[in-house]
Amino acid sequence: MSEPSYAELFCFSNFTFLTGASHPHELAQRAAELGYTALAITDACSVAGIPRAWAALKESPVKLITGSWFELDDAPPDACTPRFILLARTRKGYGQLCQLITTARRRAEKGQYQLFHDDMGTHVLDDCLCLWLPPSPAEANADQILACGEWLLLLFEHRLWIAAARTLEAGEEQQLARARWLSEHLRCPITAIGEVHMHRRERQPLQDVLAALRNHTSLENAGHCLFQNGERYLRPLPVLQRLFPEPWLEESLRIAQQCTFEPGSLRYEYPPDLVPKGETPAAYLKRLTREGEQQRYPAGTPMTVQALIRKELGLISEMKYEHYFLTIHDIVAFARSRGILCQGRGSAANSAVCYCLGITEVNPAQVDLLFERFISKDRNEPPDIDVDFEHERREEVIQYIYRRYSRERAALAATVIRYRPRSAIRDVGKALGFDPALVEQLLEGIDWRDKATNWRQQILDKRLTRNPKVADQFFTLVNTLLGFPRHLSQHVGGFVISSGPLAELVPVENAAMADRTVIQWDKDDLESLGLMKVDVLALGMLTAIRKALELISQQKDQPFRMQDIPQEDRATYNMLQKGDSIGVFQVESRAQINMLPRLKPETYYDLVIEVAIVRPGPIQGDMVHPYLRRKHGLEPVAYPNEAIRSVLERTLGVPIFQEQVIKLAMVAAGFTAGEADQLRRAMAAWKSHGDMTPFREKLINGMLARGHDADFAERLYLQICGFGGYGFPESHAASFALLVYVSAWLKRHYPAAFYCALLNSQPMGFYSPSQLLQDAKRHSVIALPADINSSQWEHTLQGVDHQLRLGLRIIRGFSASTAERLCQNRPETGYRSSAELRRLAGLNQREMELLAGANAMPAFAANRHQAYWQLLGHEKPTELFAAAEDDENYELETCNQLPAPTEGQNVLADYASQGLTLQRHPLALLREQGHLQFCLSAEQLKTTKAGIPVQVAGLVTGRQRPGSASGVTFVTLEDETGNVNVVVWLETARRQRKPLLTARLLHVKGILEREGEIVHVMAGKLSDLSHLIKTLPINSRDFH
Amino acid sequence: MLWLYLHFPHLLLDHIRRSSENTSALVIVEGSGQKVIQACPAARDLGVDANMRLKTAVSLAPELGIARADQQQETRILEDQARWLYRYAAHIVLVPPNGLLAEIGSLQRLYGGVPAVWQTVEDVLQKHQLTAWPGIGHTPLAARLIARNGKGTCTADKSHCLQTLGKMSLLAAEFDERTCTRLQRLGLSTLGEVFRLPPADMARRLSPETLAYIQKIQGSRPDPQTPWQPPHYFQQQADFVQDIEQSQGLLFPLQRILSELEKDLCWRQQDTDCLLLVLQHRHAEPTRLRIRTSGPEHRAEAFLSLISLRFDQQPLQAPVVSLRLTVKRFLGREAPGGQDLLGESQDLNEAWHTLISRLQARLGENALKQLAPQADHRPERAWIASGVRRTSRAMKTTANQLPQRPLWLLRGPQPLTEIPQAWFTGPERISGGWWDGQRVHRDYYIAQLNNGQLAWVFRDVQEGWFVHGWFG
Repeated sequence: MSEPSYAELFCFSNFTFLTGASHPHELAQRAAELGYTALAITDACSVAGIPRAWAALKESPVKLITGSWFELDDAPPDACTPRFILLARTRKGYGQLCQLITTARRRAEKGQYQLFHDDMGTHVLDDCLCLWLPPSPAEANADQILACGEWLLLLFEHRLWIAAARTLEAGEEQQLARARWLSEHLRCPITAIGEVHMHRRERQPLQDVLAALRNHTSLENAGHCLFQNGERYLRPLPVLQRLFPEPWLEESLRIAQQCTFEPGSLRYEYPPDLVPKGETPAAYLKRLTREGEQQRYPAGTPMTVQALIRKELGLISEMKYEHYFLTIHDIVAFARSRGILCQGRGSAANSAVCYCLGITEVNPAQVDLLFERFISKDRNEPPDIDVDFEHERREEVIQYIYRRYSRERAALAATVIRYRPRSAIRDVGKALGFDPALVEQLLEGIDWRDKATNWRQQILDKRLTRNPKVADQFFTLVNTLLGFPRHLSQHVGGFVISSGPLAELVPVENAAMADRTVIQWDKDDLESLGLMKVDVLALGMLTAIRKALELISQQKDQPFRMQDIPQEDRATYNMLQKGDSIGVFQVESRAQINMLPRLKPETYYDLVIEVAIVRPGPIQGDMVHPYLRRKHGLEPVAYPNEAIRSVLERTLGVPIFQEQVIKLAMVAAGFTAGEADQLRRAMAAWKSHGDMTPFREKLINGMLARGHDADFAERLYLQICGFGGYGFPESHAASFALLVYVSAWLKRHYPAAFYCALLNSQPMGFYSPSQLLQDAKRHSVIALPADINSSQWEHTLQGVDHQLRLGLRIIRGFSASTAERLCQNRPETGYRSSAELRRLAGLNQREMELLAGANAMPAFAANRHQAYWQLLGHEKPTELFAAAEDDENYELETCNQLPAPTEGQNVLADYASQGLTLQRHPLALLREQGHLQFCLSAEQLKTTKAGIPVQVAGLVTGRQRPGSASGVTFVTLEDETGNVNVVVWLETARRQRKPLLTARLLHVKGILEREGEIVHVMAGKLSDLSHLIKTLPINSRDFH
Repeated sequence: MLWLYLHFPHLLLDHIRRSSENTSALVIVEGSGQKVIQACPAARDLGVDANMRLKTAVSLAPELGIARADQQQETRILEDQARWLYRYAAHIVLVPPNGLLAEIGSLQRLYGGVPAVWQTVEDVLQKHQLTAWPGIGHTPLAARLIARNGKGTCTADKSHCLQTLGKMSLLAAEFDERTCTRLQRLGLSTLGEVFRLPPADMARRLSPETLAYIQKIQGSRPDPQTPWQPPHYFQQQADFVQDIEQSQGLLFPLQRILSELEKDLCWRQQDTDCLLLVLQHRHAEPTRLRIRTSGPEHRAEAFLSLISLRFDQQPLQAPVVSLRLTVKRFLGREAPGGQDLLGESQDLNEAWHTLISRLQARLGENALKQLAPQADHRPERAWIASGVRRTSRAMKTTANQLPQRPLWLLRGPQPLTEIPQAWFTGPERISGGWWDGQRVHRDYYIAQLNNGQLAWVFRDVQEGWFVHGWFG
């Protein structure tokens, strides 16, 4: 007898959601261990699991076959409903399969598919093989089954097999007899299949759980929804040999032999449309670069840049990436033509070519420090360029892409939504029949940050079950389910564009959003297959910058562009060094505001570091303090050897960026390029399912062997873990730092325009409009209230001194189209009565009430109460030909029974209507009323001696418990003079949970601490003063 | 007319509390389980308040007891209260979810003035361990607002009533959200200020409904109320936050319910000879116990001893989450028991039921079983012998979908002592049941033994061989 062998041709991975109980890579690895010749992944109407299985089998002799399982929605005449597997024989067959899946998926709702027997006739499937899974005798009678087989035989002559499984379930003998009978009648061979749902039998419990969930029931009630046993796993060859007749097993090998398609061979051509006729892509790219060069360097390109461009173009041409660069250039050029600001980032984006093509503003002549400018040939990874667009106008760009390349050729990459601890606990709990209320309680009670949480104990404590065995099972099941895919969602902006129909490359399905389609692969899949994507992302700050530039252009009466902003402006850096950065891109968070005075950025490159340093990576690796000490000359800068110097010189010997860490692994620990690449991938995937421990030993031993000290090695490892999932590379920081500088410059030199633009781009950034406006006031910007006779929809700058007039958009619930109507129909003299306003602007009662509530009609109402009274009672629609204008009564209707609003009432009403007030801050009122007798204001704290006990009070505008600061809660209090930072230690927080968690107006007794210019209060006693202003709707950004 | 309104601020909470001896912190959460809607004093001491997110509440008080709000349950408890109030006042209105309204103008004389009525009601409430805020007003709405704001005083004085109302905030006056916002925007903050607005303006500028609401409070517009009718049966329920595992634990809440029953029977001037006690379990089917007395009876004590006797005979099959006692059959105190007025008009269902009851009474409840198939792959669990139900479920599965099984399944597998003569079908592998601790992993075969018997045998994981049934 020949060497036993087998090809598994029916295998569900967990991309057949709630059915398959193993990851594709687990199946692949197991098949390799068992010595299978080939493995087909055949998810239900999907090829989503293929790239992962392929990646796992890359180095193994097991052949991966691409296929998919289908169940039709209707039956051919007189036949039963067919269920079958289609396998791709060649690349062509693969395209046919993808096309069929696309048809079935596109016509159904997200996550579903619909396929009818007619589709099988209308789609060309001549390069696919079909394995028919005949129904059981209980499901259909012999006539129907035979009719079904004949129908399939017509479609797949010589390419049809009858699939027979040995699941050892009741009725199997009849089923096998039926298969033999069909084989004889149809003259078509039988092949063995495993109906695989999991890679090992041990997954049966999880498979049962999934089946129960799929049927919306608990295990106890699932009954026959579950399989009778756990035989649907990848069985060892000797077992298969016992179960199946030899010819059936051999048939599986014959089928596998016919399937020659290999996912690694997938390449897509970028659309050739962009290259003018008669020109090669390389020549065209060269021409565009040359043109850009002349614009960028009117005085002549520096020699170094010329050399760089030559080198890059050579590399692009060698790797055949021209189309990719041309595609991005085309998208960016479109955005330019529409006046949409955009900025590229990523390693390839910061190249000289991209600078010339206008994809980035990071000038290679100016910043030659950047570590890694370009795609590296040896890593053989596709170039990565993310382009950020103004968040309000990104949709225009997306629509352009769809228009330009059509929906057949462009689609978004998918994002695989996976089981996370909460969802896994919830679902496993459901299947085990735990009381949902108790499960919720358990979830509420779990401290997710507390790594030491003993779930098993908590489950027992919460009396979800008294049975410790069940608790163990629960724990195991939840842990196994973690990371399982649940559904495909759309990626934030990763586009895949191809020259041919995309559906022949990868199936396309519907996303939840109307008119959006996604492919079945996510960005990791694309990367592992070496396929390129274009990231079209949204960035609020770009919107704000564009709006600010427009306002400045109006002021100057001449166009003012981003390039016109002078570089390395001292005043701007001085402002940042003081931590005055509210509203500035990236460096406006509390942590960044604290870092700025310590790092004292003086140059553009300092900003690059500033952006990257307040991140989990450098913080967990404890690299922040060494860097600061060296920067300020408190510690000598030294390098163990020249190799390390080359990597770390820019950052004074302290690794800050992701690229440096990876490079260090190579030069300091002796990682090969391939290993370093694996490390990079593991870091990217760490958050979801990756495991860094395999690298730990290698890294530390490697470093020790090369004479580095153990402490440094350990810290580098921690930093690598910190980078996991939050990797922040220098190539991204460089692009961001540019925007940091631009926005800071705007804030410093044109504050009115800057805040106006920020407010017009909401929601974005870290602060609420109220906080931004208060900061604006502190920078001498004069703000005026919204007024129907002076405001536009947007906030505007008015008068010679550029006062900031709030627009009608600040009024909650007021719509842009209404505001437009109001402005267009506004008489020269302004509106004179509420009746006139209502009639001319065509406002309905609700809109009138919103205006009155905002106190936006000072022209004809003494106060908001009277304004409101005037509006009421006019709800009848005005007649078509209303009374002539001179009949209109401009006399004001007043009601004497109504009290005039107090200042406090006005403040409250302003908050209710706009979320902010231009009147006095509520804290000023409370202070005046004597409620805050011993409290110091934020302003007073600045001049108070450190170390003394103080009392402060303010509106709670932020509570944060950063993962990097163990157990400390940071509370931001706002008063009429600014913000107070309060630090609450874990012990203090534990004892005073209630005021800490619930107070909206908080009073704190504590000790004042000072570090340079940073002042904070170490909290002692906390008290809730919310009753003083209980109705103020202040939103706090709570931690969760 | 004079109205008394009883507002039960935390009816469900009280109800659960009085059925348990445990007094640790307890909250009621809304249906979706996100928000606390009622918190007991112990919970409030820990900082838990109504309207708090459950998440916050649990982080403040990790050991919090939690019960879910249930509208039906609340209405039921409210009806229980209506029943006793009905003994004192004829015109009662149910105001779900937590209010009762009673016309007491006509009662004053009967009880000797408002203070006496007030006292009577307070006494009863205390006995029932329920918190209620009473309010008296000259209109139903006035009484309601006063009660719900806890401003009730024992007086029938109309001007006092109007004065109290005048000081109420808009929110307290229960204007709908829209009207409330409107009035606030006009700078008004109390009901008194609203009273002062010119009525014509109020109708035109606010809404006719707002004017009508104000006039109903003031009494210048009629506000007819539909009176409540007491039900023709007695039913009460006790709900537990923590499952009760010992039948002894059920006697405490039963005591209260049975004394209610006694009062109810007295008031009806009726007896009964049949109680239905239903025990709800978290996972299992409810236990239904029919308690029959030897003759017409109304004493709580007698019922309790019967029930506790029954508990002694029949231990609880699962922990109990709630119990419900129902009496539908009432017997006149004088009439001879058991005889139907029209003689032999019993229908078949009733006859069937009587037969079952008699058999059960003779043989004991547990002696009677009903067979049914059950969806489970494990043979010993593929059928069920449950307590007798009145309506038998229709068989859903057809014969050809059923697997091949012996008609005679042994009570438990027995070791196979010989090597079978011949093997027929097999193996059929059955593996499952890991979730309830009754894991099964077996290969089944049909085999002929030496004596010619056709046996259903299996081999388990430990390679042991067993006979599990016989084919005919």
